[in-house]
Amino acid sequence: MDPMFLACSFFRRKKYQECVDLCTQLLEKNPYDQASWTLKTKALTEQVYIDEVEVDEEGIAEILMDDNAIAQVARPGTSLKKPTTGQGAPSQAASWTLKTKALTEQVYIDEVEVDEEGIAEILMDDNAIAQVARPGTSLKKPTTGQGAPSQAVRPMSQSGRPLSGFVRPGTQSSRPGTMEQAIRTPRTAQTARPVTSASGRYVRLGTASMLSVADGPFINLARLNLPKYAAKPNLAKALFEYIFHHENDVRSALELAANATEACQFKDWWWKVQLGKCYYRLGMYRDAERQFKAALTQQDMVDTVLYLCKVYVRLDQPLTAIDLYKKGLEKFPSETTLLTGIARIYEGMNDMTNAVKYYKDVLHEANMNVEAIACIATNYFYTDQPEIALKFYRRLLQMGVCNAELFNNIALCCFYAQQYDMTLTCFERALSLADDDSIADVWYNVGHVALGIGDMNLAYQCFRLTLSTNNDHAEAYNNLGVLEMRKGHFEQARAFFQAAFSLAPHMFEPHYNFASMSESIGDLQSSYNAASRAQEGIP
Amino acid sequence: MSLFKAREWWSTKAGVDEEFDTGCLCVGDIDNRGTGDKIIIGSYHGYLRIYEPHPTKTEDGWTGFQAQDVLCEMQLPLPILQVEAGLFVSGSDSVHLAILHPRKLSVYSLLASSGAVSYGAHYQLKLVYEHNLQRTAFNFCYGPFGGVKGRDFLCVQSMDGTLTVFEQESFSFTRFLPGALLPGPVTYIARTDSFVTVSSSRQVECYKYQVLAVASETKTKEESQNIKTGKRVAVDWTFGLGEEAIQIMMTTFPQTPPSIYILGERNIFVLTEGGKLRMMQKFEFSPSCFLPYTSVSEGSINCLVATHSSSLMVYSDMTLKWAAQLSNIPIQLKVARINNLDGVIVTLDEHGQLSCCYLGTDPAMFTVPSSEVREIDYKKLDQEMKHLQEIIKKDANKYSVMPSLSKSDDDISIHVSVPFNLDEHSRAAEVEIEEEDPIPSITVKIQLKCKIHVNNVRVNINVELPLVASTNTIKFSSLEPGHPGEAMVVFYMKHTMLPTDLKGWATVVYENTTGAPRVLQADIRLPIRLVVKPCFPVKNANFRITIDTNKPPVNLNDLFPDLLGENAGGAGNALGFRYYGLAPVITVLASKTSQRYRLQSDEFEFMWLVLNELVTRLSSYFASHKQVDFKVSYTGDLPLQEYFVIIERHFECRLTDDNLYKLLADRAAQFRAIQRRLLTRFKDKTPAPLINLDTLIDGTYRQLIAMGDAVEQNTQVKHQMAVRLSAATRLLNLLIRLWQDMSEEEAAVLEATLTPDITESISKGWEETVDASITHLLRTSLSKSAKDQTVNPSPLTLLKDTSKLKKHITLLCDRLGRGAHLVPEGSAGEAARHGETARKAKSAIDSTHTDLGVPLGSKFGEKKNRHRHEGGDLGALRVPTDNKLPPLGGSTGDMEIRKHHTRKDIPDLDELGTDSQRHLVNGSELAGM
Repeated sequence: MDPMFLACSFFRRKKYQECVDLCTQLLEKNPYDQASWTLKTKALTEQVYIDEVEVDEEGIAEILMDDNAIAQVARPGTSLKKPTTGQGAPSQAASWTLKTKALTEQVYIDEVEVDEEGIAEILMDDNAIAQVARPGTSLKKPTTGQGAPSQAVRPMSQSGRPLSGFVRPGTQSSRPGTMEQAIRTPRTAQTARPVTSASGRYVRLGTASMLSVADGPFINLARLNLPKYAAKPNLAKALFEYIFHHENDVRSALELAANATEACQFKDWWWKVQLGKCYYRLGMYRDAERQFKAALTQQDMVDTVLYLCKVYVRLDQPLTAIDLYKKGLEKFPSETTLLTGIARIYEGMNDMTNAVKYYKDVLHEANMNVEAIACIATNYFYTDQPEIALKFYRRLLQMGVCNAELFNNIALCCFYAQQYDMTLTCFERALSLADDDSIADVWYNVGHVALGIGDMNLAYQCFRLTLSTNNDHAEAYNNLGVLEMRKGHFEQARAFFQAAFSLAPHMFEPHYNFASMSESIGDLQSSYNAASRAQEGIP
Repeated sequence: MSLFKAREWWSTKAGVDEEFDTGCLCVGDIDNRGTGDKIIIGSYHGYLRIYEPHPTKTEDGWTGFQAQDVLCEMQLPLPILQVEAGLFVSGSDSVHLAILHPRKLSVYSLLASSGAVSYGAHYQLKLVYEHNLQRTAFNFCYGPFGGVKGRDFLCVQSMDGTLTVFEQESFSFTRFLPGALLPGPVTYIARTDSFVTVSSSRQVECYKYQVLAVASETKTKEESQNIKTGKRVAVDWTFGLGEEAIQIMMTTFPQTPPSIYILGERNIFVLTEGGKLRMMQKFEFSPSCFLPYTSVSEGSINCLVATHSSSLMVYSDMTLKWAAQLSNIPIQLKVARINNLDGVIVTLDEHGQLSCCYLGTDPAMFTVPSSEVREIDYKKLDQEMKHLQEIIKKDANKYSVMPSLSKSDDDISIHVSVPFNLDEHSRAAEVEIEEEDPIPSITVKIQLKCKIHVNNVRVNINVELPLVASTNTIKFSSLEPGHPGEAMVVFYMKHTMLPTDLKGWATVVYENTTGAPRVLQADIRLPIRLVVKPCFPVKNANFRITIDTNKPPVNLNDLFPDLLGENAGGAGNALGFRYYGLAPVITVLASKTSQRYRLQSDEFEFMWLVLNELVTRLSSYFASHKQVDFKVSYTGDLPLQEYFVIIERHFECRLTDDNLYKLLADRAAQFRAIQRRLLTRFKDKTPAPLINLDTLIDGTYRQLIAMGDAVEQNTQVKHQMAVRLSAATRLLNLLIRLWQDMSEEEAAVLEATLTPDITESISKGWEETVDASITHLLRTSLSKSAKDQTVNPSPLTLLKDTSKLKKHITLLCDRLGRGAHLVPEGSAGEAARHGETARKAKSAIDSTHTDLGVPLGSKFGEKKNRHRHEGGDLGALRVPTDNKLPPLGGSTGDMEIRKHHTRKDIPDLDELGTDSQRHLVNGSELAGM
């Protein structure tokens, strides 16, 4: 078997590590060949010009991609190699490309999905056009929803968005008002740890660097002559993806893309999309928008539409984004990603009627879309139809989704649908499946059910267990506070409420409870203050 | 993620440890018997297998694989890259098998000879022809190139992207594809007679067969298959895909427009023959292979897509119609007609698992692995539950959510031993003090004893500047009961600054066995010799403080045996001290006859440490001489004016600071504004003149730097002032305590109110904090009448000037002088109020939880009463005062009147008070007096 062929086959079968290994072997082997070949033929020829002196000084990528190296076999009749080794150089370049691709694939995250906003980005965001948004045109300001249950029924995330039925990047992050708040409050409900300014995207940087081999990086970006590679369409694209995805060096990627799009006389839409991606990463949204639009006029592509909408969402123009999605749908009528995009925006704007409508459209096109099913189920659950929600969740279960969150939700649906026998078994399963991140929420819900059946002791113990696994669980603190208040332990209750609202200032419940408790013990001033804070929480 | 499962009709595992990939599976009526399709698979290990499944239905499902399903199994010497069935042999309209090896393309025919046994025919593969290839092959496609009828030509693509065309048995031509780097999938479109491939520049490229063929005719025959360079071949059309392709298929089904299906890495594309995008769909999974096939509904094409998450999707155009789970990840899919059964889905995975499936509707119910089923013994369970509940109940009170602050069961004890002697050879390093003598140092031993084994013990050493410790943190990785941890820490004075506190702290941090972090603290009292050195007493000084005692005076030589220096031979009633690095001399004078001591210095706040030391030494001196009723008192005026000067100076620094910060903020805002303007100008496509903005930004930058320097300088001055203020405050506190003979408790309240801790933060400063706390005291425990007692705290803001603060301090002293007490007394109700005040004032001290059941006040009331009682006993010892605060700056003449009853005991007191400047030249002269 030709190792190159095998490498290709491995690549096709997504056995990237094997592919990389094989390519590395090829790359290791061939410099030796070149050296011996040079020794044998140095005296004979200078007509085939190869600057072998630079072998040691240049990075291997430089040599392999050198025009000269390819010329040495490409000239007919002057080659001194045996036919069997005749493919040395091109296959080197090819294996280099393949290795680049394989390495990229290992860390590939679809840019459309990468959407964690760092604090810095939020606070330095100067793209927002108007500070005061009109109702319903901005994702930043919490709005009272259409067809959505009130906050008292459906909990809100920190930014005033309703909790979504599906965890995706950005659903649980917030747009904190101040840096102080941002540092203080946890980023997601799951991790519940204060964040540094690093956001989701940089996680990739870590993984990529871990993959790199012990003897230095595969390609030394600083020494690449980007314009040269930009002119070679068959190398440039793989190289770009490598820089962008693997090295995460947006600046170099941007430079390469700019050179490449120039080299192909601005005729390739792909490069424009990549330019847009780079601009987006660098926070230059208007430039990104221009590139994406240019790409779209050249060639309609689903990805381009998604990227452009992402820009608009980041620019806080959800209505424009929805318009664009709808235009995209005219060209790609059954594209679920576009439909999902619309639904997500409506959900973010708290417009549940439309969100559910579009999620249903998604299911019409792809009836196994987990996100759509979960979101519809969540909506039914919070609009007081646990039986219907239960149906959706059961469908998820039948489809093979099997995790703690799902069982937890089913248990809650069962409880509210008065199927008590199932509730406990489902919670049992949820607990057995839960990992460290989710077990706190499961215990919290068990405690909630215990409250519902009036078993205060059990409830108290459950909330304590919640706190033992996740000591930032504001809801549990709040409920513990209520329990303590009922026992008449006002000092402890007050401590719990204070803990709750310092952890989650967006929740109105601890404020309200604190107010009512303060009122009952006669501290009217605190009561008034807390009540005002509670009111702030509900738009 | 699907509700249904692909039902298995027939399956087998071909080979052991063999590898398969795209191309290794093909279906076709290879034996030309018309009995439906046979399945042909070839592995990379060279095995070729041909199957014809005929499972039969039995009661418990399909029979599955049987030995007679294998028509033929054969090992070829070379790896098999691709197998295809087609009309490859000229003059024959029967289907033949083409097999691609890395360097060889062979065409075989399958011959059946009816066998003797009942299992039917015996099959044999016969080589018809083969072509040796010059280049390593990648894949091949076939079709009626050039529009021939009833014949299939072959086109092999090599690893370096050349296409080699064979017109059945004869070689036709070889062409380089331009810009080829890595080969992609290739297919032939019969309608337009062209090849479609996806190149490594990620675009679909279409080459007309004619163009390829014509270009080849310019070559001579012999070098044709051996070519090294590519002649530029014109591309018919290209389409930018943006990603690599996995497979390409051409569909020409009736009722539907012919389209090119391309399976990308993340999308599926459908192009027209002319290279225009017809449809596309973005996948949320990664596909492994696909197969378009005819649909029953008109105008649409169905498409099977297998994914790497082992499921099989059925799309009708772009709408998902069906999803089924597969048992493995297929690398190739085929739809075949086997044994008159139409539409069998044939899948092959990379390990050779070959399956024939159909889309059954009986749902593959996903069954969750059940958690362990156990017989529930309710009696036992109840018992266990009861037992656990008891434990919980028992511990519920013990462990609160809030950690208790009780100081129980410390596993470690800390012992600090400060030696009497300073180090013989100073071990001070990097000292910043300019002094002739070496700066002394002292080595303190810190010892940790533990009862049980403890890990990771950390000791932090803190000491106030200008003193420093040689090390700030000591770590013990583990401590055993038998081996106490020991560390030697050297303390010395480092900076030229007024020392205010000789206390250091050793803080031990560790985790006890339950994992709870514990903290222990021990004080380190450093000797005054560390910062002070003796010198000659000075006669004249700006500030004087006199203290009284109720015992005969002590020779200073006895009191300060360690600090005599040059005065060692003196009479012992005058000593001079000086801080290292600082000029002012503090002189201590003791009257020989009266019971008075005097301190004098040119700087008020310098006297604090020495006075404190004097008082402490006097107390310990008398304690060691078994005289228990020793009492120190202060009877003079409180040196408030001097104190106020220091406050004023500190306050001025703060005001300057504030102004500087405001200016700095202004300049910074200006800087940013200019930057923004510059940025917009630079961003502009058409360059606009800078209109001197660059000069402006340069100037602003220099201003900013200068401001920053000024702030830094002022901060240093402020720090110095804060230290002095701290010392002065301590001194004043000590004097008030002595003056009023305060109890410890009262002194603590005073200390908390007139705090010597000078916090230097931007948002709040010492002046307003102290003002607020004094105001609070004046309104509460020191209030004259009930109407004053409105507590209405205002927010802490920088004061406009210090006049109000001074007034309040004066008032505080005034009230104290009139006998008001900081820690209140009286009825229980009133005590409650005061108690709360005191508690607020020293909340840091009183941190234990109070039981809510007991009224807050009662406890304090009790304590107060007890204290009153003690006070009564002590009353006899007090130096009587008339409780009237002397007017500020009042002459000592007033004092004379007030002290008439003590005058006969201390006849030389007033003389000393008034005439000291005249008489006192030095210590010896005073002694002679």
